[in-house]
Amino acid sequence: MIDRMKSSDVSRRELIQSAAFVPLAALISSAQTPQAALTPAQMKTLVAFIDRLIPTDELGPGAVASGAQIYIDRVLAGPNANEKAAFIQGLESVDAYAQRVHGAPLAELSAGKRDQVVNEMVDSPFFNRARRLTLEGMFSDPYYGGNKNFAGWDLIRYPGPRPAVAAGDQALNVEVKPYRVSAYGANYGH
Amino acid sequence: MATNLKPVDVVVIGLGAAGGVAVLPLARAGLKVAGIEAGTWMDPHRDFHADEVYNNVRRLVSSSPKAQRECPTVRATPSQQARSAGVHPMMNAIGGTSIHYWAQSWRLKPWDFRTRSESIRRYGPNSIPAGSTLEDWPLTYDDLEPYYDIIEQEVGVSGKAGNIQGRIDPAGNVFEGPRQREYPMPPLRGAGFTDHMMDAARQLGWKPFRPPAAINSQPYRGRNPCVFHGYCSAGGCHVGAKNSTATTTIPDAVRTKNLTIFDKAQVTRIMTDANGRTTGVNYIRDRKEYFQPAKIVLLAGYTYENSRLLLLSKSKAYPNGLSNNHGQVGRHYFGHWVSNVSALFPTDINVWYGLPAQGATVDEWADDSFDHAGLGFIGGASLHVYTERHPIDAAAMNTYGRAPLFGSAWKKFVHENAGRVASTYLQTNTFPYETSFLDLDPEVRDPLGDPVCRITAGGVRENEQRALQHAQNKMEQWFRAAGAIEVTKPPNNGPGISTHAYGGTRMGDNPETNVVDPWGFSHESPNLGILGASVMGSSGARNPTLTLQALAWRTAEHLVKNWKSLAA
Repeated sequence: MIDRMKSSDVSRRELIQSAAFVPLAALISSAQTPQAALTPAQMKTLVAFIDRLIPTDELGPGAVASGAQIYIDRVLAGPNANEKAAFIQGLESVDAYAQRVHGAPLAELSAGKRDQVVNEMVDSPFFNRARRLTLEGMFSDPYYGGNKNFAGWDLIRYPGPRPAVAAGDQALNVEVKPYRVSAYGANYGH
Repeated sequence: MATNLKPVDVVVIGLGAAGGVAVLPLARAGLKVAGIEAGTWMDPHRDFHADEVYNNVRRLVSSSPKAQRECPTVRATPSQQARSAGVHPMMNAIGGTSIHYWAQSWRLKPWDFRTRSESIRRYGPNSIPAGSTLEDWPLTYDDLEPYYDIIEQEVGVSGKAGNIQGRIDPAGNVFEGPRQREYPMPPLRGAGFTDHMMDAARQLGWKPFRPPAAINSQPYRGRNPCVFHGYCSAGGCHVGAKNSTATTTIPDAVRTKNLTIFDKAQVTRIMTDANGRTTGVNYIRDRKEYFQPAKIVLLAGYTYENSRLLLLSKSKAYPNGLSNNHGQVGRHYFGHWVSNVSALFPTDINVWYGLPAQGATVDEWADDSFDHAGLGFIGGASLHVYTERHPIDAAAMNTYGRAPLFGSAWKKFVHENAGRVASTYLQTNTFPYETSFLDLDPEVRDPLGDPVCRITAGGVRENEQRALQHAQNKMEQWFRAAGAIEVTKPPNNGPGISTHAYGGTRMGDNPETNVVDPWGFSHESPNLGILGASVMGSSGARNPTLTLQALAWRTAEHLVKNWKSLAA
């Protein structure tokens, strides 16, 4: 007989009966429910911000054209819900700063002014978090809502998740032909 | 009250890397074995994906819900408040962490088993790090060699021998101890970059080699070879080429019909009688509590869970926790000191595909491969460069001050450089100290109300710090010789929570300083065996899994051979 059970058998039984296993599948399905976390106004600020993190230019589509904001909205509604409030607070403080220094919310500023705002925030917690989520959105499998037309993978020249890799695909100084299919099938990425 | 189940010969707690191999010799010998596992079978099609978000960002293979609910807390020293470590890849699944590990499958060196006496002999008594509790292992490399061989064959390991019965082959690791025969499969193929690094090492006069891995380099016992698709780290293998115990020894044991698996079953206590012998285990399955009686209990959880379950299993015979009347449970704990020295090359290195076990390793600066006179430390680290790079991680690369962190200039930088970064894994010979230990957290509890494990990491370790710094400098030398234009050496502060966690139930002759005897059975409770890295008294400069599997097989074989006396 173990000591603790003598004194608290009843409460222990209740604890046992309440301790259900959370199935892995439940976590995955919640990750994939396309819910919205951000209001249209918050989304506007996010788009104005990440458009400057990774702009569309001669090297190809940027974060917004790749749909990184869709990824961010989904994860804040699902697997990253615990940081949603802090993230929204960050967006609001960006707008407040833009208003104070440049006289308008971020989304109403020119690209050059927005670059200034972003530059002044480099290494702040919100900058680091927004940047990290933007990278996740732009460079993840398009299954998650970003990396549209595999623009992220094209930018960094990632050759793609081919099912089997030959020795020649791992040689030095070869141009590996890009494999542009989602790990979850051809329905994603376009 | 718990429902009493039909008695079995042996109950094994945890069907992971260790318990998953121990069940095979037991079941083959005809013993009736109950394998109790908190997780269940994973399905390669449903659960394993070539997806960085799934494997590495959300860690959906490597973070089981139960393990997260019981995640240890960590503090550096007893004066600090311990905080939850957040996440840890302790695994609840049939196969355990061998589902998602890198599958590097090393034998330790003969020196690792006799580090204390060999260091004193060669460098004098002051060479033993101050405050360490290092002892020689109670067995030698030669004692364990036959069991290393068994695991390499039964699990399936690819590699190239460097020393077969004293015959040295420079294509393999010339620093390894003598082996009775070659690996059952040739090493995994090299990639262009790892071959390039091998050439650079040879130019320095070093002896690089392709390291051993429990990954099939060719079809093996009806299982598929590796497809090198680049999603091995923290992921399961969808073609079954990674030799977890879920695809090797456990199915073999099930086929004997002597192993019954109780999955989704959480062991809460190991029970003992008035004489201090174990009588079986209590576990919870589907919200009901059961008592599984057994003649022998083999504890085979992760290092943190092994100490925790013993400390939770208090009784009249063991008021401070099972097998803890000498106060040794949780002692001699340490996490492996490891480091990633990364480098930027001026041209594409094409390491996107592959796997962390596909690499080039140098052992010149590990163990006692070099003269330490005047260096101020013993041991060192193995240097390992490898392949497999994921796109988010690549885009998040260090810009080395060469570009801003955003905008078109950053885009141009990652366009050019994301495919030019190499990572390494340096693993240091790490030792136990008086100030590192595991106990029960006084405040943080799991949903059942049981305290979680608390890690006291122990603070500064001058020996390990110097050894790792020495190895980092050698790694930089290697990278520069290969043409790297930037090398980053992160500072070394030692691990808090660790994926290579050792000790807590150390193996040794002396019951005053060790929990288990040289065969893996408790000094205090003779029908309790303990499996896993928790019995290891030093780490070696390499991954622990093959060693803890060889030890587990040896404990199980000892049990079979001495059944009457141990189960009496």
